[in-house]
Parts: sequence; C-alpha cells; structure tokens
Amino acid sequence: MNPREAYSESELVAALQQRSDKAFSYLYDNYSGALYGIIHSIITDTETANDVMQDVFVNIWKKIESYDPSKGRLFTWMLNVARNAAIDKIRSKGFRDSLKNQPLSENVDKTVGPSVNPSYQDVGLKKVIGKLKAEQRVLIDLSYFQGFTHEEIAKAMSIPLGTVKTRIRSALIQLRTLIQ
Amino acid sequence: MNIKEYISSGIVESYVLGLASDQERIEFEKLCRQYPELVAARNEFELKLENQAFEQAIAPPVHLKEEVLGSVRPGAEDKVAPVVRIERSGNGRGWLRFVAAASILLLLATAWFAFDQYSKNRELKNSFSQLRLEVDSVNQILAKQKESMMDPKAAMVVSMVGTQPSSNSSANIYWDTASTNVFLVVKNLPKLPTEKQYQLWAFIDGKPVDLGLFDAEEDKVILKMKNTQKAEAFAITIENRGNGPVPGGPVETYGKTRL
Repeated sequence: MNPREAYSESELVAALQQRSDKAFSYLYDNYSGALYGIIHSIITDTETANDVMQDVFVNIWKKIESYDPSKGRLFTWMLNVARNAAIDKIRSKGFRDSLKNQPLSENVDKTVGPSVNPSYQDVGLKKVIGKLKAEQRVLIDLSYFQGFTHEEIAKAMSIPLGTVKTRIRSALIQLRTLIQ
Repeated sequence: MNIKEYISSGIVESYVLGLASDQERIEFEKLCRQYPELVAARNEFELKLENQAFEQAIAPPVHLKEEVLGSVRPGAEDKVAPVVRIERSGNGRGWLRFVAAASILLLLATAWFAFDQYSKNRELKNSFSQLRLEVDSVNQILAKQKESMMDPKAAMVVSMVGTQPSSNSSANIYWDTASTNVFLVVKNLPKLPTEKQYQLWAFIDGKPVDLGLFDAEEDKVILKMKNTQKAEAFAITIENRGNGPVPGGPVETYGKTRL
C-alpha cells in the first residue's frame, strides 16, 4: 500500500489546505490504518480508540495549515497528532474516572495482568520496543506510550534526570537499528 | 559543532518521535537549516518509522470512516450563522428595522434551538456509548471468568507467610493443578520503591522457576501468574523492576505445597 501514488505528498497537503473533501477522503483511506495502529498501541479499548481516531482526523483537518513540510514529513506530523491525542485521552480525568467506575473490569484486567507479563508484544512500535533491554523498555514505555516527561520519570523512579535522558537516547539509537 | 556526532546522539529519533524538549527542538530545527546531512538523517528515520507504521497498520472499523468524514464536513461542527448585513435605514423605513430585528430574534432562537438539540443529541450519544461500553465489559468479564474458572477439586491453596523476622507479609496461591493456572492473592505485602518489583517463583526439583513479576499497589487483588504443572513450594522475592528468570533479591514470603 503506497499512499504516494495518486497524490504526491505536497499535492496532498495543498489539496487538504484548500479543504478538498476528496483529498481528505483519500487521506483517510490511505493513512487511517497506520494511525489506528499507533492509537491502539497506546489505547487498548476499542471504543476509546475509535473516539480518539475521530479526534485525530478532526485535528488534522483543522490544523493542516500549521503543518510545515520543512520540519518533517506529513506522516510524522500526523503520527504526533495521533500520539498526542491518545496520550491526552489516557491522561484525562474523564478517562481515569471511567476506569475507576468499572471496578469489576479493572479486576479482570488485573487477572490477565499487564503488570505480570508486560504486553509489549502487541502492535506497531511496541513490537519493536519488546526487543529492547527491560530498563530501556520501561523508559520508552513511560515516555513515548504514557507521555510522561523526562522530569516526571526521573522523579517517579528516583534516578537523576541526566541518567533518564541518556538512557532514553541510547534506547532510541537502538530503536533506529531495530526498525527495519 | 560536530554534526556527525550530533546526528548519532539519538536527537534525530527523539525529535521525530516528539520526545525532544522545546529547547532541543528549536536547536534541531535551526541546525536543519544549516546541515543538509541532518535533514537527510531525519528523513531517513521518518521513512523507516512510516514504513513500519504501514506494516503494522490495523484496519479501523468500517463505520468509522463515515463518522470521521461526517464530523469534518462543512457545517457538521462549529456551525456559524451567516453574518447578516443590515443597512442603516432612514426614519421612513421603520418597517425594515422591524423586519431586521425580528429576523435577528429568529436567528437567535434558531441558533439556540439548534445548539440545544445538538447538546441533547451529544448527551444521548455519550450515554449510549457509555452503556454499550458497560455491556461489552460485562460480557468480557463473564467470558473471562468462564475461561479462568477453576475446578475446585483440583485447586490447591498455598498460604505463604513472611520470612523476614519482623515481616507480616502474606499472600495466597490458588493453584489449579488440572488447568495449571496459578492465581496469586496478595493479602499483605509492603509497597515497594518504584524501581523494585515482587516476583513469584515456583520451586521445581529444588530450583526456582519464574512465574512473573508484579506490583502490589492494591491489596486483595487477584493476579493471574504464569502457569506451572509442578511446584513443591512457592516464594515471593523482591527484585529490581524487570528482573529476569534468576532470583537475586531477598525472599519476602514462602509456602510449601505439601506439608
């Protein structure tokens, strides 16, 4: 599946900025699967992932003017829109409360236990991250998939901020060679 | 600046993945304007990431497309009432003023009505999806409980008690020897610093076998651990987070399966 067949990336961006419905539909057809994969690597619940997916495309539609091709590819920009929306969702009060209001399912989740066997095998980047060393995996998980800042991680794990930064950097360098 | 060193420092990945700090990001963008090789490195990682994401794509549910397109279609959201320009009229045109005033009132009433309907509709939609979520999760719970139901005849309860001199720690193991499922119920285990985790072990022929790491943040939680067919005893140790299959830390609780 090559999204660059009918439109070149710059043509697609131009058409989106001119509010072309056709271009947006094309964008959805070609990029929704990849973005849905990213969202699902952060949010496991399907209903919530669907909501976030909708937010993501609305945000892309609204913010396409602010996309600057000199700073990176269109997909990278959309990937970050998707990741931010997913993280905002899991860190939002509403979402946390909705977990609290489901004591039963919370317990069942515990019985299949993310804390017992960290489920990094799932999808997308998480699959790649499963190949990292445990200490690096935890750091990437907290920073990339949970959206904690380096400062928050340093505080929570009581390790110096500099150490968090260097460890994350070295994990990212390995990540580059792991992504094929 | 040694640009080669900079490129291989992990900053490229950090920037592309959105993990760079504001300061790092500004510096990176500035250097991109100076060094084409930095842009090339960024582009290379972006393409790798993109290809990887396309390989790992998950098809969204079909109905979602209609919803997504519907929510950006002109007039779907943020419907703005058209601006009505009203010509200032002379004294003799009082009726026009009246019509203008009436139409503004009408417009306001319509807008309010539309907004009211919109919020009601949204409320209904929200509570509907909330209900659907609840039904789904209840169904899931039922399915999972059916799946993990233990055969009471084959289940063995192993009570583990603290081994440290002053330890009040205790935990129970529910071991279903037929299905080999192992469930752990934490009754009392002290909270650990974040870099530490508890780890459950089964002793088989005198050797510890890893049954999984866990956090004990909330008491009285049932954890499903790794399965085991055999075990003479179970033990819980305190290990570094993410510990491998070899125990290194102190034993917190211990219990034999056959007395």
